Amino acid sequence: MQIKINGKEVKAKEGETILEVARRNKIYIPTLCYHPDLKPEGRCRVCLVEVNKKLVTSCNTKVENKMEIFTNTKRVLEARRLNLELLLSNVSYIRKDFEVAKLAKELGIRKIRFKKYVDISKGRAPIEKDNHKCILCGRCVQVCQNIQKINNIDFVNRGIFTEANTPFNIPLKYSPCTFCGQCALYCPENALRERAFNEKLVKYVENMDLVRDNKFFIVQTAPSIRASLGEIFGMEPGTLVTGKMVSALRKIGFDKVFDTDFGADLTIIEEANEFVERIKKNKNLPLITSCCPSWIKFAEDTYPFLLKNISTCKSPQQMFGAIAKTYYAKKIGVKPENLIVVSVMPCISKKFEAEKLEMKSAGCPDVDVVLTTRELGRIIEKKKIKFAKLKDDEFDLPFGLSSGGGAIFGVTGGVTESALRVAYELLTGEKLKNVDFRQVRGFEGIRDANIKIKNKNLRVAIVHGLGNIREMIESGRWKKYHFIEMMACPGGCIGGGGQPRPTTKEIRKKRMDALYRQDKNKEIRVASHNPAIKKIYKEFLGKPLGEKSKKLLHTKYKKRRPKYF
Amino acid sequence: MQILRKSEWEGFKKIFGMSRKEVIKRVKESGLKGKSGSNFPTGLKWELMGKGIRYLICNADEGEPGTFKDRFIMEKNPSLLIEGIAIASYAMDVHKAFIYLRGEYSYIKPKLERVIKQSEKYLKKINLKININLGAGSYLCGEETAILESIEGKRPVARQKPPYPSDVGLYGEPTCINNVETLANVPLIFLGKWNNKLELYSLSGDLKNPGVYEIETGTNLKQIVSLGKPKTEPKVIYFGASGGCIPYKKFENLSVNCKTISERGAMLGPRSLIVCGKDRSIVEFSKIITEFFLHESCGYCTPCREGNFRIWELLKKIEEGNGKKSDLKLMEKLAHHIGETSYCALGSSSTTHLKCAIKYFKEEFLRLCR
Repeated sequence: MQIKINGKEVKAKEGETILEVARRNKIYIPTLCYHPDLKPEGRCRVCLVEVNKKLVTSCNTKVENKMEIFTNTKRVLEARRLNLELLLSNVSYIRKDFEVAKLAKELGIRKIRFKKYVDISKGRAPIEKDNHKCILCGRCVQVCQNIQKINNIDFVNRGIFTEANTPFNIPLKYSPCTFCGQCALYCPENALRERAFNEKLVKYVENMDLVRDNKFFIVQTAPSIRASLGEIFGMEPGTLVTGKMVSALRKIGFDKVFDTDFGADLTIIEEANEFVERIKKNKNLPLITSCCPSWIKFAEDTYPFLLKNISTCKSPQQMFGAIAKTYYAKKIGVKPENLIVVSVMPCISKKFEAEKLEMKSAGCPDVDVVLTTRELGRIIEKKKIKFAKLKDDEFDLPFGLSSGGGAIFGVTGGVTESALRVAYELLTGEKLKNVDFRQVRGFEGIRDANIKIKNKNLRVAIVHGLGNIREMIESGRWKKYHFIEMMACPGGCIGGGGQPRPTTKEIRKKRMDALYRQDKNKEIRVASHNPAIKKIYKEFLGKPLGEKSKKLLHTKYKKRRPKYF
Repeated sequence: MQILRKSEWEGFKKIFGMSRKEVIKRVKESGLKGKSGSNFPTGLKWELMGKGIRYLICNADEGEPGTFKDRFIMEKNPSLLIEGIAIASYAMDVHKAFIYLRGEYSYIKPKLERVIKQSEKYLKKINLKININLGAGSYLCGEETAILESIEGKRPVARQKPPYPSDVGLYGEPTCINNVETLANVPLIFLGKWNNKLELYSLSGDLKNPGVYEIETGTNLKQIVSLGKPKTEPKVIYFGASGGCIPYKKFENLSVNCKTISERGAMLGPRSLIVCGKDRSIVEFSKIITEFFLHESCGYCTPCREGNFRIWELLKKIEEGNGKKSDLKLMEKLAHHIGETSYCALGSSSTTHLKCAIKYFKEEFLRLCR
């Protein structure tokens, strides 16, 4: 059909919204609560356009034949500006890099004529909310309800007292929240955000070069943050910044910079052995992965009958922490409590995991501080390190050495692929010629594949996004597989709750490609070929699923009861 | 009063032998229009229903301040309403109807339930079940799509239209939503001797005899108000909270119908007239109504949520004598802005009263401004 935008004839399809047509024809309409991943609701009223002398929101108004649309009349511009002014009248302060700040600049808001009225409220869960900043765009509510399908937050109260909150104001800590952090990731205003893990220690980390107190600082960096950290400093999504990241961490003052990929390699060896064992015994199948703490919390809360199927392996972060506090502390002669393990994760839930009481191998927490990608970016900015101009550096040995299998842990399907690489060799005893399992790669919410290993047909499934996980479990399909990988965030860790904002499907795809590129360029592709791993089993752990590794690298799950009712 | 006529299911008995189409045609020919203020032809609404499992909802969430005609019908003549629901259900092939009763009217619920039980033998004939749903006190639930959300058990927020409820309504199925007065008029059509022009008016305010009156459309404003016997000389007439207002003196001889009122910037709506005496302050009254909308705004969209709060702030400032002329200007701008850009009908009508007040009584605001 034909429509007119600002007097220009434009073609449109039926069912498209005005905004979609305008974007395709490069006609600019500002938006705020609209997000391509979510259903347009028309809450913020910033994307107004004029149709038939009426003002309508372009994000959720469908085009009609011979519609005449004006996007930049005086009336439209004034209405948009007034709406944004009303929104911002309640905001405490705005950092320049927030979406809202950019929009305010575009619409030419210099002074806000209204005063603020709301107080700050803080939670004690890994996610905290600042009502002072919330503009009630409703993205967090939609993500929680439509994408993750946890339904933990909705709007409460009416009118000017409306806020996004849990039912009956239950603290997040006691609610069914899984701390996946997607709400924080989609927030345009940093109103929902990660809580500083341990404020004292984080200050310590920030000023590490000044105060040392015979502490020894080591840091581990998650597989997926090297593909996204650059975005904070204006680089293209999908730029690998491994080298720059390492030298930035050194500049902050860490004594040793290690790689969680090593922990991932360790995880996958334990997990693959567990998988092979379960297949041989044909017991507790399917094996469900356990790397994602949000998924673990979700299962403990909602699906306790699945707990026996979940692999008992700790997540890579915790495995690394346990090894560092026992093996490494002894090796370098530092007391475990003086060895501060900092981890940089794309995830808010990892903060929750590190705080668990059972995660103490040497009498003190295995991981002392968890930072998200965004927090690391903020520290680098605070230290005035010019990130883009840094020289490339390399990880320290021994825990800096990793395989390609560990590198792809950060993307959906990655855990499955590297588990298959190891399991193939364990099941057949041969060396794997083609290490790429392309069947398991992709971006659909629920994927499955048949993998033939030594005349045995293995059915594997990969699920990402809690909404898809719920569908998988409640439809009962999970029973017919041998191996299921579950990741709470859309796209796996590359779309994690602690990653740089904004997130869209395209950005996640670029990050994914970067990780697969990294895997391809590695010399060692299979985790069990990693010499550092071989060494640690020889010197310290003994054998996979042995006594020591069971004690240090495995954990137990328990059913959670809601405490508040 | 016509609406108090006891029908004893005579109208319902007459529709047997008529096909569904004939019933709808009869209603269309009668000229019955929606009595909630929309004035949409009822017969047409019934005809437009889409295919699927159909539902009928009787909107008894009478939240508009100063309106109490539906309560009057449900208290005095509930069987007429149930009969109307039965006829409408037959015409639209509905087997499940809901009465969405306002939370504050919960005391009427047992009465309605009793009437439904008594008339079970008629309802069984057309295989109809009537449910009574109680609201929880939100003004927004009077909006037809918010009712749907509320019955589904969700937070009442208006839905985006289109799709209209006649295609995608309750649980995604075609749904017809009619007002209590509309449905109560339906059996009277089939009884004969029905006067289309008689409508219920709720009169309240500075009156000696407030209450519900049955008045023909097009009656003079003066005649209507004199029925309630004003205590003092009326100064301004408010049409509920959302309908805006008109000065009494200027439009004494105006014949009241939807068109004449909307030409003067106000909205007749569900025909509720709040009469304010000559010693009332317009600024104070505007503040009270704004407080009402402040409390009832659902908080979904920016203009209604934030804007009404800002208007309240400015009104308070002006009332206290600290306002400036620029504040009045900003307030007027906000009032128009909210009317234009809000998401639902509640938001866009929430400032009609202020627009009218500034239009007709600007001096009163200016007198308080510095």
